Amino acid sequence: MIRRWRARNHAEREFERQALAYVEGLYNFAMALTRDRTEAEDLVQETYLRAFRGAAQKLPTGDVKAWLFTIMRNIWINDRRRKRRQPETEELDADEEDGGIGRRPLADDRHRPDVLHEQQALGQAIRQAIESLPDIYREVIVLRFLEGFSYNQIATIIGCPAGTVMSRLSRARTELRKRLNHYRESAASPSLEAGGRATSGRIRGVGEAYE
Amino acid sequence: MSEHVVHLIELYLDEELQGEERQQFEAHIAVCAECRARLENERRFTALLAQARPLYDVPESIRRRVEQLGSRVSRRRVWPWAVGAAVVALVALAIRIYVPDATHRLLAERMPPGSEFARLAADTHQRWVRGQLPLEIRSQSPEEISAWFADKVPFNLKLPSFRELPDQPKPYQLEGARLVGFKNDYAAYITYRMRNRPISLLVTSETVARPSGGEEIRSQGLVFHFEEINGWKVLTWSDRGLTYALVSDFEERGQASCMVCHPSASEQRKLEDLRR
Repeated sequence: MIRRWRARNHAEREFERQALAYVEGLYNFAMALTRDRTEAEDLVQETYLRAFRGAAQKLPTGDVKAWLFTIMRNIWINDRRRKRRQPETEELDADEEDGGIGRRPLADDRHRPDVLHEQQALGQAIRQAIESLPDIYREVIVLRFLEGFSYNQIATIIGCPAGTVMSRLSRARTELRKRLNHYRESAASPSLEAGGRATSGRIRGVGEAYE
Repeated sequence: MSEHVVHLIELYLDEELQGEERQQFEAHIAVCAECRARLENERRFTALLAQARPLYDVPESIRRRVEQLGSRVSRRRVWPWAVGAAVVALVALAIRIYVPDATHRLLAERMPPGSEFARLAADTHQRWVRGQLPLEIRSQSPEEISAWFADKVPFNLKLPSFRELPDQPKPYQLEGARLVGFKNDYAAYITYRMRNRPISLLVTSETVARPSGGEEIRSQGLVFHFEEINGWKVLTWSDRGLTYALVSDFEERGQASCMVCHPSASEQRKLEDLRR
């Protein structure tokens, strides 16, 4: 029995270590979902609290990272459903399969200590472009390109078929290119046309990304 | 270029093309310059996005908070009483036989004072005073703060309102609140300021923590535990299902800080037992 307890204790510590390693990814996903630092911090904390409570009953097997991201998204969805009852809440744009207008990006937070790459114009342009996407595009862009989840994992996290993930990602890419070009042009930077032709020069601050 | 080819390029880059489909695509790319150029362009775009990671730095406060939660993963597996009791007895016996008296005294001196809850309250107060603890809600309204806690803590917390008299200025100011992780759940942390000095109140359910240690003082049917932790005066007590810790640097046992919940003169007189 002692041996079993020790093994269980070791497995719990290993699970905690694994789970805590994803705090950066989870915080970034929370920012993508909420676009608000305080809400994102609350969402991360609530996610870990639920995860650790669940693990105390039964340690999760399999993909811990996808499990954590699924918990986070479910909390966020439930929170938004609750807030929708309040008249001042924005409507979910979950049905904007055509891309829609999206939202304005967060205010310029150049001096915020929690923003990386703020000195790099391109990094800021990418962040602003992603922030301005409609919710359904923003989350798949972050899950695929920043967190490296597969289509099947993304389908599990957002609760829809892999085919929907595929089409949503394709439209999200197109929309992101358009918006990134907008932010880059406003900073007098090269275009990122889908045909592979840059209008001029190189993108400053990044290596050989585009020519 | 057809949409279908663009789609295949995206699937290929996302590692979603497998088997024969993948082989056919790679064979096509080898002979089609236009598709190859588009593939490279898409690859660079994907790499650009990946380089942007992370978009946001994780605030130190949230790292600390989740690490605290992690260290409190509930070990709810309950040893059978017989086994647990036997182990405790064996350990106690071993210490008694093999550890000299002098070591007992040394161990006793080195044990941190007071209950874990009191220590958490003192530590949280210290972090607040040092500006290391951001509040999650800033408000001078007890009603607003009570409502904020409503769906966040597993107990009913209602902060008292100070009834101001026309010629009597409010002696203290409510500043705000936040959640603090404790024992795999949340405790409520509320901060006040009185005479420009900070006061902290930490609240949790009585089932999670009960005051212990320090100097016991009985007053008005309650048992207060007083101790000084890192220079702070900490009063802990339980009442009607909740356990409280009040932290300040006020004189004697810090009973002046009790005004945040017991403002009237008559109530203050009831706290005489807490005076040294």
